[in-house]
Amino acid sequence: MALVEIRDVHKTFGKVEVLKGVSLDVEEGEIVTIIGRSGSGKSTLLRCINALESVDTGEIRVEGQKVHAKMPDLKKFRQRVGIVFQAFNLFPHLKVERNITLAPLLTGRIDKAKARALAEDVLTRVGLADKIDAWPEQLSGGQQQRVAIARCLAMAPHLMLFDEVTSALDPELVGEVLKVMEAMAKQGMTMILVTHEMGFARNVANRIVFMHQGRVWEQGPPAKLFANPETPELASFIASAK
Amino acid sequence: MRSFSLIDFVSLFTALRWTVALVVLALLFGAPLALGLAMGRISRFAGLRWTMAALIQVIQSVPLLGLLFFFYFGMPVFLGIQVPALVAVTVAYTLYTAAFLGEIWRGGLEAVKQAQWEAGACLGLSAWQQFRHIIAPQALRLSLPPTVGFLVQLIKGTSLASILGFVELARAGQVVSAATFQPLLTYALVAAIYFALCLPLTLWSRSLEARLDGSR
Repeated sequence: MALVEIRDVHKTFGKVEVLKGVSLDVEEGEIVTIIGRSGSGKSTLLRCINALESVDTGEIRVEGQKVHAKMPDLKKFRQRVGIVFQAFNLFPHLKVERNITLAPLLTGRIDKAKARALAEDVLTRVGLADKIDAWPEQLSGGQQQRVAIARCLAMAPHLMLFDEVTSALDPELVGEVLKVMEAMAKQGMTMILVTHEMGFARNVANRIVFMHQGRVWEQGPPAKLFANPETPELASFIASAK
Repeated sequence: MRSFSLIDFVSLFTALRWTVALVVLALLFGAPLALGLAMGRISRFAGLRWTMAALIQVIQSVPLLGLLFFFYFGMPVFLGIQVPALVAVTVAYTLYTAAFLGEIWRGGLEAVKQAQWEAGACLGLSAWQQFRHIIAPQALRLSLPPTVGFLVQLIKGTSLASILGFVELARAGQVVSAATFQPLLTYALVAAIYFALCLPLTLWSRSLEARLDGSR
């Protein structure tokens, strides 16, 4: 059984059908990168996996459990599936430590005595142990995004979703975030990413999924997909992304 | 006629009791109600949102004087219940406070980005935890200046209770002025007392604002 099973998912916003029958499996430990033009449904698909959006028809299962916004243990489910956003979404009124420990404390994952150690641990993993007492706005965009990743890691998720996490960053800050993600990939974290970073997709991902017009248009290992795209749509996308 | 003396001074300060008591009562009952109205206004349920909006609209549109008259003179006529003056003013000031604070706080809550709720939800927090730990603290800071602004309004607004026979600060000023024929002195003193009451609030709000905005 795959960790994530997506079966013929359809999703409509108003009159626009964003997902037109998407099916996709992601195995445990796999790094899957979803690429495609704006409006191809990449982000929507990612948000459906985390039940931030509900699918209209079809189904999504994570660890065998059917995912939807009204699932009985949605809160527990969300603790197992982390998501990092383009806009970081750190809590501006809390210091870095509290940003990280708030959810583990409130959900009873850890007790107060272990909170600081947990924050130190996950911050070390993203290379920001020295920023534990900083306010979010004192950090650069790249650092904020790494804190956001650390905040997710603190929940010890089984699966992590990344929604264009480097798109809002200045070019010189992209690298540090990608490096953190690469390290996580090496440690065996299952990851699904929506990204425009073709270099990362090529070098780190096990599989590339090209979405086009609300469908999975083409997928495969990066080497094959980038070298020999089967469809003209992917060929032109790769050409334009360079 | 007599000259302005210590007794007049004391009577002004004694009357201050009612001014303070009315403010405390208004906040005691009005603030929780305001929180309820604010949360109702941002609710997922359209029916609740509209009901709260309509309530606020009605209360805000009626002059405070009208509210006072309605609950004191109106209730016996419309409902046949004789309402003690204290109950009538408490209800009137409570509704007045709830409507205005409610709208102020709603504005604060809505000014916090939707993505903050989402970020909390994605970490497995319940809606209440998101509100309590993520949204409310940020909204509080945003709402602080207008909240204190309203408090100052409320303090001065208690002078209207004199109409229903409450000898609060403004009414005591009238009495003293009539007895001493020194309106200028008396009202200057009354004004100074109001000022002394409101100024610390404004200063406190400013320091609180700086403190809550820890990052700067």
